[in-house]
Amino acid sequence: MTGGNQYVVAAYAVIWFLVLAYVVMLGARTARVGRQVEAITRMLDRKAAESDTPEGDDG
Amino acid sequence: MPSSTTDHASRRVIGARAALIWGVIATVLVTVASVGVFLVAPEDADQGAIQRIFYFHVAIALVSLVAFAVACVAGILFLRTRKLRWDDVSVTAVRIGILFSVLVIITGSIWAKASWGTWWVWADPRLVTYLIVVLIYAAYFVLRSSVDDDRRLRFSAIYAVVGFVSVPLSFYSVRVAQSFVHPVVFTSGGANMPNSMLIWFLISLAAMLALFIALLEVELVGRRTERALRALTLRLESS
Repeated sequence: MTGGNQYVVAAYAVIWFLVLAYVVMLGARTARVGRQVEAITRMLDRKAAESDTPEGDDG
Repeated sequence: MPSSTTDHASRRVIGARAALIWGVIATVLVTVASVGVFLVAPEDADQGAIQRIFYFHVAIALVSLVAFAVACVAGILFLRTRKLRWDDVSVTAVRIGILFSVLVIITGSIWAKASWGTWWVWADPRLVTYLIVVLIYAAYFVLRSSVDDDRRLRFSAIYAVVGFVSVPLSFYSVRVAQSFVHPVVFTSGGANMPNSMLIWFLISLAAMLALFIALLEVELVGRRTERALRALTLRLESS
């Protein structure tokens, strides 16, 4: 690889690496949102279970 | 609430379809541009292979200025309407503009080292004024994190509008001050390059523009979804 080509490869590698890093950061945020959705789903399930329990049915 | 109405509201809040479409367009265009720049575009007779940095370097630089323009317009719209969506657009455009600006400075320095033998030339107005623009927009996030909730959105919008003044100053300072070492490729007379190079530059520009829109859409989806989830969590906890 000539000296000129090395610089070109370095420049494009930086571009692709930083853009990829940014996309990975966005993916991490999406994963965090997914965990929040799971937490809300569990909260809804718990509330549904509580409302299904008949009043005074505590043994 | 009927389920169909809920589904419609969810789609409206999240709006992920546009992000997906722009993501596909950006991926295709960046791939085509990369192949064209490396394998099809002719080698520059003067600079040789090093000139290939030009295609993405200049395209990213122009799109970074577009990003700051979008932040400015969104800031104006927020100040007029006080709608959160415009604050989302403004802050996201600045963030992506900063990312692109960092790419411009790094690739420009690599090109400078290969072409001029130095990483940076402090005497060149284009380099210095562009760095000033980047530092002005970096300060945007310092301001945003240091102001309390009530004033944060308003101050950020004002800063995005006022900060944009630096963009045309940077753009035209080069033409007024006669850049010492940085070439000016595009003049009022047109592009100083053959059509066989210009076509790959335009494709690279379209690719970077599509990448900017795709990243903007994805970030906006994330911000809208987080906000909707927070509101939903509060409603559930209070019920």
